[in-house]
Parts: sequence; C-alpha cells; structure tokens
Amino acid sequence: MISFWIIVAYLVLAALCAMDLVFTNYDVVNNSQPYAFPSWQHWFGTDLFGRDVLARAAHGTVTSLIVGFFGAALSVVIGTFFGAIAGYFGGLIDDLITWFYSTLDNIPYILLLVAFSFVSGPGLKTLCLAIGLTSWVGHCRLVRSEFIKQRGQEYVQGAFAMGASHSRRIFIHILPNTVHLILINFSLGFVSAIKAEVILSYLGLGVAPGVPSWGMMISDARLELARNVWWGLVAATLFMFFLVLAFTLFNDAVRDALDPKLRDK
Amino acid sequence: MGADSLIEIKNLSVDFQTDDGVVHAVKNISFNIPKGKTVGLVGESGSGKSVSSLAMMGLIPNPPGKVTSGEILFEGRDLLKISEPQMRKIRGARISMIFQEPMTSLNPVFTVGDQICESLILHKGMSKQKAWKRAIELLDQVGIPNPAERIKSYPHEMSGGQRQRVMIAMAISCNPDLLIADEPTTALDVTIQKQILDLIADLQKQYGMSVLFITHDLGVIADISDEVVVMYRGDIVEEGKTEDIFVKPQHPYTKGLLACRPALDKNPKRLPVVSDFMTPDGQEKIPDQAILKAQKETREISSHQTPLLEIKNLTKHFPLKKGFFGGVKTWVKAVDDVSLTVRKGRTLGLVGESGCGKTTLGRTILRLIEPTSGSINYSGVDVTQLNRHDMRAMRRKMQIIFQDPYASLNPRMTIGAALMEPMVIHNLGANKAERLDMAASLMKRVGLEPSMLNRYPHEFSGGQRQRICIARALAVEPEFIICDESVSALDVSIQAQILNLLLDLQDELNLTYVFISHDLAVVKFIADEVAVMYNGKVVEMNDAVGIYENPQHEYTKKLLSAIPKGMPKHLLEA
Repeated sequence: MISFWIIVAYLVLAALCAMDLVFTNYDVVNNSQPYAFPSWQHWFGTDLFGRDVLARAAHGTVTSLIVGFFGAALSVVIGTFFGAIAGYFGGLIDDLITWFYSTLDNIPYILLLVAFSFVSGPGLKTLCLAIGLTSWVGHCRLVRSEFIKQRGQEYVQGAFAMGASHSRRIFIHILPNTVHLILINFSLGFVSAIKAEVILSYLGLGVAPGVPSWGMMISDARLELARNVWWGLVAATLFMFFLVLAFTLFNDAVRDALDPKLRDK
Repeated sequence: MGADSLIEIKNLSVDFQTDDGVVHAVKNISFNIPKGKTVGLVGESGSGKSVSSLAMMGLIPNPPGKVTSGEILFEGRDLLKISEPQMRKIRGARISMIFQEPMTSLNPVFTVGDQICESLILHKGMSKQKAWKRAIELLDQVGIPNPAERIKSYPHEMSGGQRQRVMIAMAISCNPDLLIADEPTTALDVTIQKQILDLIADLQKQYGMSVLFITHDLGVIADISDEVVVMYRGDIVEEGKTEDIFVKPQHPYTKGLLACRPALDKNPKRLPVVSDFMTPDGQEKIPDQAILKAQKETREISSHQTPLLEIKNLTKHFPLKKGFFGGVKTWVKAVDDVSLTVRKGRTLGLVGESGCGKTTLGRTILRLIEPTSGSINYSGVDVTQLNRHDMRAMRRKMQIIFQDPYASLNPRMTIGAALMEPMVIHNLGANKAERLDMAASLMKRVGLEPSMLNRYPHEFSGGQRQRICIARALAVEPEFIICDESVSALDVSIQAQILNLLLDLQDELNLTYVFISHDLAVVKFIADEVAVMYNGKVVEMNDAVGIYENPQHEYTKKLLSAIPKGMPKHLLEA
C-alpha cells in the first residue's frame, strides 16, 4: 500500500510541477552561486547556473512520468496486439509475426533507440515513440505464449462451441485472463522506459537541452563529480530510485488484486 | 490388533488455517494398518483421506496445516515427534508413496533410470552400477517390457500406465514396510487401471509389505484390500473387513457409496446417490419411495428411430512429422473413416481408451476441429459445408460439455455472465433483465441456487461447476449435446448425481446425446447405443445391453473384463 501512495505522491508532484504551482524556481538562473553546497535554502544545492537542484529533480518527474507512461503504453499496445493475433491464430500469421520480432530483436535495442532519436530529432514525443516502438518484443512474446496456452483451454473451446466469434473469444474470454500479465508488463515497461529516457538523455539523444530531466542531470554529473559536486547525481538518483522501487512493489500488489484465484486464498 | 499392526494412528486431528477460519480436515481419527495387509481408505474429495496419509509421511504443509493432536505409532515410535533427519530416513525407505498424476510426479529432465537409482543410492548406499542393475530388475518386476533399454527413457517417452509403473518401481525400490498409494489409478484408463491394481496386489504379496490404498471409488479396492476405512468430512464413519463393508455396510454413507457406482449387470432408470441414504449431517435417512422405485425399474432402451445426425466416412488426420521443406511426412489418423448414426432423443455412447480418437471425433462433429474429409449430416444439413455465418446459427442446436469443470469456465466471468453469454450471442431474451431471469431458471433446472449467479467459478466445487457447464449448454435450448468425458473428473458419488441430472434433462427436453467416456459401465448406464472406438476406428456398435451381453471385438471384451465389479471376487462367485 505504501508503494501506491508513493506513486500517487509522484503523480501529484508531477501535476503540480507541470502547472507551475510548486518549485517554480527550477529555471531561475543565479550566476552568483554556481554549485552551491546543499543548505536550508537549496536542499540539494545548485547546479552550474545556480539553479535549484531539488526543483529541477522535481520537474524531472514530469518528463519521466510522461515518457514512462506513453512509452510503456505504446509498447504494451503493440506487443499485446501482435502477441494476441500470433498466439490466437497460429499458423502463417504466427510465423510471420515471430519472424518479424525475432529480426527486430536481433538488432541491439540501444542502437535502434539511437537511430530513431537521431532521425526524428530530440524531444519528448520522439522519446516516447522510440521507446514504444523498440521495446514491444518482450510483451509480444509473453502475450503470444499466454494466448497459445489459453486458446486450447476448454472455456475457450466452449465459447467457440457456443458460436462466439473470433473477436469475442479474443477480447471477452482470453484477454481478461491475460490482463494481469499485461498490467504487470506495463508496469515493468514503465520502469524500463524511465531508465531508457535517462540513458538517452545521458547520451544527448533525449529531451531537448534545458528541459529538466533526471538523465540530463546524471549526464551533467559526469563532469561535476570531478569537482566534488555530488548533489546533482544524488538528487536525480534518489528520485528515480523511489519511483522505480514503488512501481516494482506495486506490480506485486496489482497481480494479487487482479487474479481471482489468488484473491480468495 | 495392536501386536501385528505396522502403523497405528491414534486420535489424529489436522487443522488448516484459511482466510475463512480454521478447517478441521481430520477430526480425531484412529485406525491401524496391519503388517502385510492392504487397507483401503475411501472417501470423496475433501474428506481428509489424503491429509491423513500426508501426516504419516510428515508432509503436512505447515503453515497453513497443523497436526493438533494424536500420535502416529510406527514400530512403537511416534512419527509426529521424531526429528526431520530421522523422518527422512523413514520417508522413501520404510514408508513410500505413489501419487495420482503420473505425468507430473516424475522429473521430465532425468531418465527413469536416474530417478529410480536416486533413492537406492540415497537410502541403500548402493554404488551407481549396482543401483542401475537393481533398477533394471525393478522395471522388469513392474512389467516394463525390455527394461534394459527402457531404463534410459525419459518420462515423456512412456505412456501414462508405464509412468505409473515407474512410480511404483521407485516406491518399492527400498523394500518399504508401507506403501501409500494415493488414487494411483484415477487418471488412468480402465484397462490400465486393472493392470496397475493387479501389479500392486502382486508386489504386496511378494514383498510382504502393507499397502494403504486411497481412493474415492469403493469399487476399485474390492479385490485388493483386506480392510476398508471409510472417511466422510474428516471423520471415520465406518471401518471393517472388506467383505463386511461390501455385504453389510452399516453407515448410510457407505451404503450410498456402494450403490452409486453404475453396475454392468443392472439397467436402472436412475442411479442411487449418497443423499438418498443420508442427510447432509450424516444421519440415516429413509429413501424417498419414488426414487427407490425409479432405481429398481429397468430403463427401456429408447425406440426412437428418426436419425438426427448421420456421419459418413469422417476422417481427421493430424500432421505428425514435417519434411525439410515443410511437406508433411507422416500423419496421425485420429479419426479414421468413421460412419455413425445418432437417433433423435437417444444417447449414443462412445467408448475407448485415451488416444483412440473419441474426443477428436466429438470436436470434429461440432467443427471445433475441421474434418479432413467425410460428411456430417445434421437433420438434412451437411455441417461440413456450412459457411461461418450459418455454422454459428447451427451452433445453437449443438452443444458440448467438457471433461474438466475447472478449465471449462472462464475464471474471470461470473456464473451469471457465463450463462447469459450464449443468449447474447444468439439474441435470446429481449434485455438483460429477461436474460437474468432465464439464467436463474437454468440454475434451478440444474439444481443450483439462483442467488449464486454473481459468484465466480472458483467458489464452486467440481460437481457444482459441472452443473453450471450443463446449464450453459442448455442456455441456447439445444437439441443435441456432446458430453465429452463429462463425469470422468468427478468423484463416484458426484458422478451419479450428474448422470441422473443428464437423464432427467433428456426426458424433459427431449435431448439427443453423444456421451463420450472411457468407462463402459457409465456409458452402459446412460446410453441406448454404444460404439466402441479403437485406434481411430469404430470397431463395434450395438445397443447398450447387447454390447454387454454379447461383445464381439477383442477390445470390447478386454474393456468389459477390466471394469471393477464393485464386489470382492470370491463373494461374486459364491
């Protein structure tokens, strides 16, 4: 339950930041105090331009949650769609989809991400698209195998015998029985999308310069650490750590709550 | 009894902690297993019989389970008090166990030889070579042909019966004093069941060990057990010599259990069920006169002659091996040139062992599997020629009830939604309220409370679920139902209830059934005509009485002789 409230807190924080109601000073440049040590005024110190690190980390939440949500949602939708039809219909359709994702999966993930970001230029939208379009293979495999397992079950055969159409069997019968897997996968995808954003930003292929992002902060920390400036790295890492941890714990709770077989045990 | 008993169970109680409170799985039971004798432990699922045997092996999962009182004396030592390392020396060496499911109780990544050798090396301290030699002897003893070669097989390379033989070889490998057999034949075909029962009886004599044979079916142990213990809801309701139990059962539950198994030599209108003899709290009950009468009456074989379903030269081949370029090299002929006629209002029984193609035939008739060739004529329409739209309309008339009541209901749909779904698909009922009414009356029709409609499948027992599946099949008001092993997964006592229900529904609604089963006794009870399938072909067809009195094909004769007679052999002959 704690994990749930941590996630809610992040969401509230992101919403408030996005509406510019809290940490409004994240972009205020103060050249008089670059790299100020953490103090009561600046809990996590300031960066090169004298901007408040805590405020920037808080605003980084917005970027992360957007990328996490849309990146994961896109990849889950694509993965579920292809996985479902491959697993359900089998045969030639399955062969084609399996061939396609195996090919895609053989290209290193980071390379694809980089290529995509490079072609369509940096920015939030590109990031979400790049992450979504390159990370669906895992979901697809999982959903496919679950559909193969479920389609032979007698309740699906029973629905067939009743006259249920393909879409009815897929959407009303099998999909609800895989939804816990899909949600957990979404949650895991959320976490890896956040990490991917950090990595891409670190490589300079993420969000546009100036937009607050944990990846950018960690990237900057590369140079700052040499000067004993550790607070930027710590702030970004702590924010990321608690979000990822909360999501991971939340996964378990979601699974327990969604599985009717577990619910009564 | 004390002196010659191998194991003595005194006042044993086992509780399980669940979310709904404490469940008393075993309530203060006491019984003995004498040296060198076979004791049958009988009861329905949930009666506590498996829990008692697990307690003897020290295998009660804790939590949630806990032995709350009693002692289990094995050669004077209380097994509940000794330490885990001491228990490990007894488990597998002095007391060993075989389980119901031979598919899952062997490790798929080791050869059977490795698995038999493991306990020999562990308990007997044998060298690898010696253990291997002994393992070959053991396989030979349990009747595996060519044991020196088969010892190198992996479990998936063996049939269900052979796997169970391997399990038995493992269990007897250390000459145990007690062999616990927990429903070892329930998952097997009747013919294989007979072989395994004979094998256990032989080994019991040869090794002079004691056997505790756990089953839900009294008929199975008639020939092999010396004593019988009957359990009901955690209590022992009756125990005694096998002859006494079978000839003069005292407790109403035992009477019910003995009566509810369909017998080959009788042809009653209705099967007796346990509740005819006993109230739910275990009190004796005077059976209802009308029910008694129906049980005594002989069922007339239906005389309807109008054909409803005519199958001609139906064939279904599955590809087995593919060539390098994708061409199919070998085919399995699951259904091989089958022609059958099912008459309106009658029941055609389809019997055969697992893998004989009876399930494939059933599913091909409904086009759940597309046939390779042949025609299926259903009241003048060739089903194989229908397009998708017409086939969907046709499905309203033809329904199926499956074997496994656990798998055949969508776990995420309430019972109400499951019953209303076919109505939605076929546009029955004007609105939701009307459909809900129809669902409620379906529930009543199959003997369930309409108030259960908003529950989920996992809240029901196996028998209740099978009733729900029947209700769902009836939701579209079909004329024709295929029952695919619909009672095989149920306890004998529940099986009788479902069979009665199916017969009642046939009378009320003038249904036509194809009843698929591996159990000829069940088929004979419910069917008017019986077709015997073997290797994808129908080898014999006759009316239900004829097939029993005058079997023609070798396989039919074998099937008939394998069915437990429900009475010890020497009593039958007397």
